[in-house]
Amino acid sequence: MMISPDDDTSSQNSGDPPSTSVNESTPRWVKVFGIIALVLVLVVVAIHLTGGGFHGHASQ
Amino acid sequence: MMMPPALRKFGLTAHVTSSVGWFGSVAGFLALAVSGLTSRDAQVVRAAYLAMNLVGWSVIVPLSLASLLTGLVQSLGTPWGLFRHYWVVIKLLITVFATTLLLVHMQPVGHLARVVATTTLASGELAGLRIQLVADAGAALVALLVAATLSVYKPRGLTQYGRRRQRDERKVG
Repeated sequence: MMISPDDDTSSQNSGDPPSTSVNESTPRWVKVFGIIALVLVLVVVAIHLTGGGFHGHASQ
Repeated sequence: MMMPPALRKFGLTAHVTSSVGWFGSVAGFLALAVSGLTSRDAQVVRAAYLAMNLVGWSVIVPLSLASLLTGLVQSLGTPWGLFRHYWVVIKLLITVFATTLLLVHMQPVGHLARVVATTTLASGELAGLRIQLVADAGAALVALLVAATLSVYKPRGLTQYGRRRQRDERKVG
């Protein structure tokens, strides 16, 4: 029987990680997180390259 | 090396207080940045940027470094580890990234503080820089909120290294 985070009360009580891994593939939330982070980085880089952002850290 | 329970609780307390303190101080920093950008009172603008420089170096930077350091201690001294779980890795990346950007962006804060200490800023003077400080503080709040959410929810997911360690530990056990 798979142990879900809700069932694994021993680890929740002790603060330790759950003792059983559910599966061995990268979780979907990590992939979504990575995509969002990549998009944000690309947006920031694009803003800086096009000069449409702020005027840098020095005085104008 | 695993920490004994008492030390672990102490470390966790230090990490939580420094991290939440970081978040709160950035919220105050954002309020000052908005005030400095929008106020038409020269005295308020001067006070805002002087306060941002003071709060930044005396509160925010120490708390960010404390959060990073205590987080490293907490992960390395507990079964969570530093690279075994995705939520820990992502929190580490957020913290390192936010701390680095903080140190970089304290330079324009210091520049503004030096300017207002000797002159009066005109309404649109250094507008890009002043807007950037508001945006940076807002982005920092979002990043820290994400980190805090990961800390509480601890979404499941072992990294490749974590899976390998788990397999090795099971073989030994």
